[in-house]
Amino acid sequence: MASSNDPQGASGGDDAASHLDMPPERRAAAKAQAAMLSRTADRIARELPFGADVDDFRRALIQGAKS
Amino acid sequence: MTDLAALSALSLAKAIRDKKVSSLEATEAAIERLRACHELTNCIISLEADEARAGARAADAAIAKGNAGVPLTGVPLAHKDMFDRKGKIASWGAKLRSGKPANEDSTAIARFKASGALQIAALHLAEFAYGPTGHNYVLGHARNPWDPTRITGGSSAGTGAAVAYGAIPVGLGSDTGGSLRLPAACCGVTSIKPTWGRVSRAGAMPLSPALDTVGVIARHVEDLALALGILAGPDPRDTAATTLPVPDYVARLADPVKGLKLGVDEAVVGEADPQVQRMVEQVAGILGKLGLHRTSCRFPDWQTLDHLVQLVQFPDASAAHTAFLRTRANEYGPQVRARAEVGHFISAVDHLTALRARGMFVERTLQETFKDTDIAILPILADPLPTISGLDVSGGPQVQAAMGRVVKFTRPINYLGLPTLTLPIPRAGGLPNGIQLVGRPYAEATLLAVGKAYQREVPPEIARPL
Repeated sequence: MASSNDPQGASGGDDAASHLDMPPERRAAAKAQAAMLSRTADRIARELPFGADVDDFRRALIQGAKS
Repeated sequence: MTDLAALSALSLAKAIRDKKVSSLEATEAAIERLRACHELTNCIISLEADEARAGARAADAAIAKGNAGVPLTGVPLAHKDMFDRKGKIASWGAKLRSGKPANEDSTAIARFKASGALQIAALHLAEFAYGPTGHNYVLGHARNPWDPTRITGGSSAGTGAAVAYGAIPVGLGSDTGGSLRLPAACCGVTSIKPTWGRVSRAGAMPLSPALDTVGVIARHVEDLALALGILAGPDPRDTAATTLPVPDYVARLADPVKGLKLGVDEAVVGEADPQVQRMVEQVAGILGKLGLHRTSCRFPDWQTLDHLVQLVQFPDASAAHTAFLRTRANEYGPQVRARAEVGHFISAVDHLTALRARGMFVERTLQETFKDTDIAILPILADPLPTISGLDVSGGPQVQAAMGRVVKFTRPINYLGLPTLTLPIPRAGGLPNGIQLVGRPYAEATLLAVGKAYQREVPPEIARPL
């Protein structure tokens, strides 16, 4: 599993997206972008309730319409 | 003779119903204006003149028999070329589309057809709707009708240009990170990006289904109201399309706006170029004269929202494109290829964290940002209208930063799923730009009522080179 503290892990490691034909500089830029975003994901993951669910979004919109 | 280009769709529909102008005359005029607009802006992907004329003749025949019971009978409209139409292949703004015609109409096109509207052209868009400026490296860049050296905004670039030029009164588009708002702002017209789930996306090209929203661009707010009423509602083909009742948006245009609270997040607005900050103040001032009360509001940390929306969008888009990227990568334009690759480097855990956090951020926004605010005002572009050459970064190393700057104020709203109305600034002879009004979920009717009142002060314009 990729750890947000380890942006060179599964998501950003040297073997990531090896099936894509990318020049080294573009690959490095994509990895850097993913690593930067991963730090935010890590911070947010610490705030999230364990039961947070993808469908909370729809429920929140509907609830917001009614309130 | 009435200037057909200046009419709203509502007025044109009435003129056709009342036989003051025939649908065929209106359609011929629209075809002529579309051709002129295309020469200036590269707005058309395919113009279906003969089909349009046949549809117009059928509409005129129906009216002659007294059968004009639907709101847009015989009115010529057009759409961003990413919506399925039975028997046709939508280009999606790309060269590497599969060659299989659609089996049925997209829901949005079907609902417009059922309203009597004619679809006379498929309009320009960024390649795969994946670009916020109107650049398209495989089909040619779109150019702004006010100044052809400037961007149209994207991805609904042709729709923005054609509506602004007066070629059509309303055009169909979509918005995943700003694609209805940016062309409307850049071309000096209005748009409605509905709440996520208000309008079915069935048969529309997916870019990031978690964010994709179908909506319209128009010069007149009343046309946004009419079109949204036609498009909105549940759809068994799109389970995200809500069953919440659809208001009569046209009737609700008369809702009072006096006393509504207009929230300004000065920290977020302050991140725009000073000239854009002054535009926001100018529009806020006009809304103040209409009776809206200015308040302060505070969105959740804007950069966090901007990161979260990228964590949703990049993997979504990469997943949609993964087959083409593996097998036909060289057929992409350089910019979309570079952007579509990024999602492969984002972990599934990070993607899901962003999706799982979305409900929390919507609740936080409603409880805090909208606690004492009915509508929030934000910029759309961070900068005055950019030139095409200035943003011609192709797929180079600046692409993420340059595109990120363009969507800085738009894509975080897609993460929250909230409705937004684009209003053009008073130009006073200068270049166009626009602001967005952000509402609570499903509060489109309130936004539209404010927009209607605003257009009494800042009437719609038709774009011609300055």
